[in-house]
Amino acid sequence: MCKITAEDVFKAISTVIDPEVGFNLVEMGLIYEVNIDENCNVKITMTLSTRGCPLHQMITTWVKEAVLKLDGVGEVNVEVVWEPAWNISMADENVQKALRGF
Amino acid sequence: MFGISKDFAPPLKLIAPFFRIGVTFYLISIIALMFFNSSFTYQQIQIAGWLHLFLLGFVMVIIFGAMAQLIPVVLEVGHAVVDLYYVILPLLTIGTILMVSGFWIEPSLISYGGLLVLTSMVIFAIEAFATLRKTEIDTITVKTVAFSNTFLLFGIVTGFVIALGLGGAVSVDISNMLKAHFYLVMGGFVLLTIMGISLTLIPMFSLAHGFSDRAIKIGFNLVAIGVIAVAIGSIFDLMTMQWLGYLITIIGVGFYLYQIYIIYLLTVRKELDIWAKSMIFGFGSLILSVVLGLVYFLPDMSENWLHSAIWFFIVGFIGFLINGHLYKIVPFLVWFERFSPLVGKQKVPMLHEMYPKEQATAMFWYSAIGVLLGGIALLIEHDFLFKAGVSFILVGAIFLYISMIRMLNYGK
Repeated sequence: MCKITAEDVFKAISTVIDPEVGFNLVEMGLIYEVNIDENCNVKITMTLSTRGCPLHQMITTWVKEAVLKLDGVGEVNVEVVWEPAWNISMADENVQKALRGF
Repeated sequence: MFGISKDFAPPLKLIAPFFRIGVTFYLISIIALMFFNSSFTYQQIQIAGWLHLFLLGFVMVIIFGAMAQLIPVVLEVGHAVVDLYYVILPLLTIGTILMVSGFWIEPSLISYGGLLVLTSMVIFAIEAFATLRKTEIDTITVKTVAFSNTFLLFGIVTGFVIALGLGGAVSVDISNMLKAHFYLVMGGFVLLTIMGISLTLIPMFSLAHGFSDRAIKIGFNLVAIGVIAVAIGSIFDLMTMQWLGYLITIIGVGFYLYQIYIIYLLTVRKELDIWAKSMIFGFGSLILSVVLGLVYFLPDMSENWLHSAIWFFIVGFIGFLINGHLYKIVPFLVWFERFSPLVGKQKVPMLHEMYPKEQATAMFWYSAIGVLLGGIALLIEHDFLFKAGVSFILVGAIFLYISMIRMLNYGK
């Protein structure tokens, strides 16, 4: 029985910061779904704030590396999807306020 | 789904010299402006020399460097032969120096410089076309890359015909060919490239999403038709066709501005950083340029209106769009090269921490005041005001140069 929860995965991913905007990927609302099977294999479905982001591959690698640090985790797969397209309403309120409030 | 592999991204050592040399040419071209007066004609060889210094040395060098980085981002594939950019830069740099020396000192150098510039641009265009063949996506930005490079090739050919004409090798109407050359390069390559690339970069940096790109598609088609009309009209001396071309281009630019306005309405990021301020001033200059150009079309208007319109287009719009983006692109390149491998291992800087904010602000205000004073001076033919405007831009250019050195050396 796997002891890792979706919350643990989100917490791990929240250490990954987007260097352009300075917020972590979870509060940006870029992580759509986390699935964990009984063998602790993790599948993360996420998006990026812009298609054609030059950091695309690096960000997915950082997400994978962050989750692999969890104790007892199995395989980690990251899938980037473009539907639904990200928009600012998906971000936490503090991010929305910070981006709009300068 | 796609990925921009790190392998697609050219190394910093390939791209950084483009930006270093580009801003150096910018500084030199502004120093050179100090020796000009507010009244001139485009047929003056000294003016041709300055335009080539600014447009080849600054605009083209920076655009080529930026395209080395941005083509993989826009096309979502790696370059066909990225190492060709190591050849493009020295050819373009030496060619520009020879051409400008030719215009200002020894006319025979124009052909030699032109040949080097021609070679560098042909290599750039062929590499871009070879990379285009690899992509499967079909966006408006991809289309602009294809069209702008085609116009560039025609612009190079007309430029070379002019060089041959000046050298006496062929008999052509230099004045008409010059118009076609200027329009193919400025409208066909520079403007269309800026239109296409800005449609990718501006929403990316401002986090604007979900907008329709119908306006830019219409604008793109109109500008392309306008450029073709002016080029053909100039070569075959068809005045009506030329004027029609100018008008169609201006309407096309209007649609482009409307597209930018749509994107602005959806902008999430309201921070007024150096990039945002530069975009506002740049697009403001473009609007001013269009208005001044339209006034010039009225009967019996002085050429000063056209001079001022071109000033705001070149130094205001192109200058600010390029310089503003440098404060986004260069920190990203440096961060990607020096700090991305350290993510997760140690604290890394944010991109906005990697440019000197006070110097960037000084660059913006000095340059903006200078562009406004210079534009007014050209309109009223006031030499002292023109020199004052150029002096302000020069101070701005020095701040830009220092900022560039500091950004490129960050974390070294």
